[in-house]
Amino acid sequence: MEKGYYFKRIIRSVISILLVITIVFVLVYSLVPRDRIFNSDDTLVKLGGKPDERLQYQMRTWQRLGYIDYENMSNYCASLYDAGSDAINACNVAGAKEEKDFVEKYEGQGYTIQYLPISHSPIASKDRPIALRVVEWFRSLIYFDTPGYVDKELFPDLERKIYFGKTPTGGLAIKCSGCEHKYLLYTDLSFPFIHQHILSLNLGQSYPTFDSLQVLNVISDSQGQENRTETVFEDGHTETSAYKLTACKWKNTLDKLDRNKFQDNYADCAIIKKDPSMMGISFIMGVIALILAYGLGLPIGLLMSKSKGGIADKLGMVYIIFIISVPSLAYIYFFKYLGSTFFHLPTAFPTYGVSDVRSWILPCISLALPSIASLMLWTRRYMVDQMNSDYVKFAKAKGLNQTEIYKKHIFRNAIIPIAQGIPSSLAGCITGAIITESVYSVGGMGKMLPDAINSYNNAMIIALAFLYTTISIIGVFLGDVIITWIDPRISLANKEEGR
Amino acid sequence: MSEKNDLFTLAEFDERESEHIAAPRYSYWKSVWRTFVSNKFVVAVCIFMIIVVLFAMIQPMFSHYDPMYAPNINDPSSKFLGPSSEHLFGTDNIGRDLFDAVWAGARNSLIIGFGCTLINMILGIIVGAIWGFSKKVDVWMIEVYNVVSNVPFLLLAMILSYVLGSGFKSLIFIMCVTNWIYVAYFIRTQVMIIRDREYNLASKCLGTSTWTIITKNILPYLISVIMTYISREIPSNISYEVFLSYLGLGLGQQNASLGRMISAYTSYMTGYPHLFWIPVSLLAIISVSLYLVGQALADASDPRTHR
Repeated sequence: MEKGYYFKRIIRSVISILLVITIVFVLVYSLVPRDRIFNSDDTLVKLGGKPDERLQYQMRTWQRLGYIDYENMSNYCASLYDAGSDAINACNVAGAKEEKDFVEKYEGQGYTIQYLPISHSPIASKDRPIALRVVEWFRSLIYFDTPGYVDKELFPDLERKIYFGKTPTGGLAIKCSGCEHKYLLYTDLSFPFIHQHILSLNLGQSYPTFDSLQVLNVISDSQGQENRTETVFEDGHTETSAYKLTACKWKNTLDKLDRNKFQDNYADCAIIKKDPSMMGISFIMGVIALILAYGLGLPIGLLMSKSKGGIADKLGMVYIIFIISVPSLAYIYFFKYLGSTFFHLPTAFPTYGVSDVRSWILPCISLALPSIASLMLWTRRYMVDQMNSDYVKFAKAKGLNQTEIYKKHIFRNAIIPIAQGIPSSLAGCITGAIITESVYSVGGMGKMLPDAINSYNNAMIIALAFLYTTISIIGVFLGDVIITWIDPRISLANKEEGR
Repeated sequence: MSEKNDLFTLAEFDERESEHIAAPRYSYWKSVWRTFVSNKFVVAVCIFMIIVVLFAMIQPMFSHYDPMYAPNINDPSSKFLGPSSEHLFGTDNIGRDLFDAVWAGARNSLIIGFGCTLINMILGIIVGAIWGFSKKVDVWMIEVYNVVSNVPFLLLAMILSYVLGSGFKSLIFIMCVTNWIYVAYFIRTQVMIIRDREYNLASKCLGTSTWTIITKNILPYLISVIMTYISREIPSNISYEVFLSYLGLGLGQQNASLGRMISAYTSYMTGYPHLFWIPVSLLAIISVSLYLVGQALADASDPRTHR
């Protein structure tokens, strides 16, 4: 029964995610004109005096981002003749006889033919349907690393195998030769102790901001200055470097520096930086705020319900009304002002940086303020509701004392709806807080979505939408699971059948 | 015996009177009014709120404040003036009168707050009532809700504001296009709670049409719940306008907006604090009084509080 419910629910969640992404695709790729992506592209500005190159650059970028299928003469010539031959040189000259075939061939396939403004050489382009792009996005979403990754033509003699070994720091590892990553699975001393590179999420390439980086790396890689430490390389030599040797990727061509450091082609290593990633900062901040919120909101809410109508209750209500009705922007600035004038706390996160406790105090408090208010409100409300119910009167009639009734009866029932929200809020920490992070200039996730939209970073928008949706769906789901643990009377499956 | 009979006179038989059922006279709206008025503090807040709202509506008609019009922009002596008899709230960084600016912004915030709430509530209540009542609709709507509530609102808002341009109509559209579904979901849950109560079952058995059950049996029961929701919705819509303006998405340069004022004047918080604190305080005063009055109305409209 329950199993069937979970299965159905997972299927429904996946469909929801699919639909959300489709909607976002439609919004981003059909409502926003595609010229906009070049607004902050310097390369295009440099090509301003060369209309031919400019147009071709635009076409290539659109092709790279999946907007269009694009063909030009040089590709066409290369497909007809051998490289370096006279025929291909003749073909590449503007006005060559092959141009007619090119136009015919691609017009027949539904392409639109354009001519470059100066050389009048034809180029062909065709819009890619959004449905197709959504399908491709999901198809390439999960990426398995296999020994077949390395190009077979370039490296025919490479031994392809998966084997057990050790990391340079002495941890256990499953290594691979021929995969994209050298270490597929390894242990080390940093959280969560076991790391893997077998499965990875491919959320697309960032453009035009954070150009040519993977979106996932942008939000999950460490930031700031390089963290250079004495590193022992595989061949035993020691060197000051910021390389993370367990996260090295295959590189087709090695330069001299690489050859000095590495024995094989796994030389494209991640670089360790000093500050946590965007996700990391937002998450740490969110979790601290959450602990603050539950640590303060719950007890104060309980206190309010106990002294219903009393001074504590009224003061609490004043705070709740203040938070609910005053726009968050206003009270965030208000508390920032209080903190900086009376406690001399820094008003910008980067002033003292990540490592200083003082940087975290004000942003965390400002994040916690609304959660404290809503927790106070709901705790009080649920407690008061429970206090008036019959089973409490019955318990009182049986002679239980007030504390026992509070602890064992009312609180356990009142906590159920509150507990349901915990996973959602915890998961929501990753997505960051827009206003708080921009008021305190925190380098977290909160600013990513507005920034991505403002800079037309479409891959980033879609990736973020995917992350937000998935996280919120998982959060709600876990919340439901938690209430069934706390309260065995609740069955999710029965809820499904309706009344 | 006869003496006693003289003391009584025969009352005339009145058929209409005999059919009358003795019940205390109860008028719902009168009771709402009586309960509302009985709280003196709330009445005072309400009067204050009406004055502020009327002033915000009327003052801009006379000041003709236009954020794009800054005649004193090249006159350093009229910049950053403190509050005085000539400029009640002082002047800002380009010599505009803050008093006019603040009230024009308040008017826009109020229009947005009330307008969006009205549209969202009407749409939400109609859809929510049907959604909560029909199980067939529920199966589909809950999926629609799951999807719509998961599309990041900010993304939708930014793309729509970009496609539609900035301005009143597009801002109201943006703030209503998906937000009504949250109202509808809330109403749906409320309707589901009471739709299977015995009196509705009886009503159904007697052949009352679904529409009548929704409008006559269920919705009146929900008035106080809806009022509670509205009293939170108006400040939250005002707040949202501020948030969007802060991100540069709200009304656009040609309309005054408290949100953009606040975000623009934050840099003067230490140097010219009046520039920052006056818009913030006005915004806070308006939203708090709206919220308090709304809550009091919600309490008053709950029949259980009537004596």
